[in-house]
Amino acid sequence: MPALLAAQEVSKIYQMGSNSVTALDNVSLEIGEGEFVAIQGTSGSGKSTLLNMLGGLDHPTKGEVYFASRPLGPFTKKEMARYRRFSVGMIFQNFNLIPTMTARENVSLALAFGGLRGQQRRARSRELLARVGLGDRLEHKPSELSGGEQQRVAIARALANNPKVLLADEPTGNLDSIRAHELLALLREMVNQDSLTILMVTHDHELANSFADRIVFMKDGRVV
Amino acid sequence: MSFFDILHLALRNLRQAKLRAILTTMGVIVGVAVIVTMVSFGLGLQSNMLERFKALDLFNEIQVFGQGLSSLAGMERPGARDEGERRLRSRRATRILDDAGVKEIAAVPGVAYVEPSVNFPAYVRSNGKLLTQYVGGANIPNAATRFQHFAAGRMISAPTADEAVVSERFIRDFGYEKPADAIGKTLELLAPPGEKDDAEEEEETPNFFGIPLDDPGFDELSAVETRTFRIVGVLGTIKEGAGQGGLRGLMPSAGIYVPLAMAHSWTTQHRGPLGQVALALARQGGNLGAGQTEGYEVAVVRVADPAQLTEVRAKITELGFGSFSIVDEIDQIRTVFLIIDSVLGLLGGISLLVASFGIANTMIMSILERTREIGIMKAIGAEDREIKLIFFVEAAVIGVVGGVVGVLVAWGIDGLANRLAYRFILKPQGASFIDFFDLPPYLWLGAIVFALMVSILAALYPASRAARIDPVRALRHD
Repeated sequence: MPALLAAQEVSKIYQMGSNSVTALDNVSLEIGEGEFVAIQGTSGSGKSTLLNMLGGLDHPTKGEVYFASRPLGPFTKKEMARYRRFSVGMIFQNFNLIPTMTARENVSLALAFGGLRGQQRRARSRELLARVGLGDRLEHKPSELSGGEQQRVAIARALANNPKVLLADEPTGNLDSIRAHELLALLREMVNQDSLTILMVTHDHELANSFADRIVFMKDGRVV
Repeated sequence: MSFFDILHLALRNLRQAKLRAILTTMGVIVGVAVIVTMVSFGLGLQSNMLERFKALDLFNEIQVFGQGLSSLAGMERPGARDEGERRLRSRRATRILDDAGVKEIAAVPGVAYVEPSVNFPAYVRSNGKLLTQYVGGANIPNAATRFQHFAAGRMISAPTADEAVVSERFIRDFGYEKPADAIGKTLELLAPPGEKDDAEEEEETPNFFGIPLDDPGFDELSAVETRTFRIVGVLGTIKEGAGQGGLRGLMPSAGIYVPLAMAHSWTTQHRGPLGQVALALARQGGNLGAGQTEGYEVAVVRVADPAQLTEVRAKITELGFGSFSIVDEIDQIRTVFLIIDSVLGLLGGISLLVASFGIANTMIMSILERTREIGIMKAIGAEDREIKLIFFVEAAVIGVVGGVVGVLVAWGIDGLANRLAYRFILKPQGASFIDFFDLPPYLWLGAIVFALMVSILAALYPASRAARIDPVRALRHD
């Protein structure tokens, strides 16, 4: 079975004045459909950079990223935006919700980019927030929600336009261990029930071990 | 993402920084208000002036000149005066403006009527007083605007009637209490005994509807000849606005108007010494036949439609008469006003330019504040185009709101200025309300569209900068 998401000999080199910093060095990685993969490594190991590359937020200096066997390199800016909109969803350590919008509005914004209108959008945002267990928190702003709840809103938003892959960058980094467990149980459930594919960056070996199908270790921009 | 969603996002962004949005919009409001107020003042100035000219009958009248007695006598005009005259009376007359000529001009298509101008000073006696007055000849019936408004009485009834209409000034000068008192009273024109030129009389009599030689006031034996007219009407003086003081059209005004034929025969019978010399020289030089008279000096031609004026004027030149029209000057006036309006508009334009810097500044500030938000939108799939549109719509909202409010402010300023001018300047002088401003739809609509365009231009750089934001960096931004 071909991989759903793959990185092939991807390098990322940042030019800092006369110095060049290699964030990723010839990284290759394949993730199959319905897999829950964790990337573990110390900070600065390049795991977030790899995630941004796979999420279509950044371009590799060398190498290629493939989604469903299609290379992302030749994508135009517009196609790249559509890739981020429909093919992958992303969540972050600091949630990245829009603070002035309610939970429902945050989810609706993604639905609006996906082209859903009025009544459909309302129904879908309610359904998504119910799925992550926030059916009674629709009109709360992020500041009125706990960290775990905020991350659930972020998950609902990431999944708004039915992507195949969820890319999670330290999703439990700002949560206590109980909330972290609950959140990963939810993600595990989504993989099992909805055959979602998840690639999660974490530095917590215990969590990765108990929820992921596979763990990829990274150090100094390389897979080890 | 639909346009409605983008508008919704843009409005939400503006609401989030309400004070800043309001202050930025104020800049546009001031700019638009200045433009609209200034240009509407310029346009108002122009339309008031042209309106006044129109009311004065200056757009539909042509002054026509025949060959005058002095040129028939072979007299040269002094050079300095010639310069100005040549410009005004662009075409020199080559024939005498007599009754036949007047008929020919009247037959030119587009001519409403021709009225020869006869105007002379005379000693006048009325109500026991003796004063010099200017006497004018009037065509009967007469459609000219100066004979439309009577303070008392009516117009002279027939071309041969011994009737006169007088000005309100005349009433005051001759000591009548009020215009109605003068109606039915008589006035006498006084002159030395007329020259007895039989040939001339014979020529003129049929032309002038047969003035009876045994007129009651015509006393050959007395040293002073008198001619009596009954006052039938007093012209109303227009006190304010266009046509103030009764001066209208190109026809010279007079204190007394009598039927044209009578006025003309009076001038040929009571020539001054200069006129007598000129007539004699003209006859001697053969420029004027024994039976010929010198005709009218000037006639005023009224065209039915001002648009035909140039055409009619050309025909009159073909007929061999000189002419003058104020329209030549109007084109220059229009050019001057175009310059004035442009300068006024430019001043307003500068204030809108300043406002556009404000818009650009606000947008850039807003981008700095919302960098993270823009990054989030990009991460969840916003296209560059959509990010740009949000900013353009924000600027457009500022522009349109500023434009509309600015126009309303300008409209308010116009109204207030009009009222203040009326209250403190016009009313104390007894004048009526004048609208000093002209606010045509093209001006206010144009101002709103202009404000919109300027705002969008101001957002050009900020919007593209927002679209270029790198999401990876923006998401790390706090």
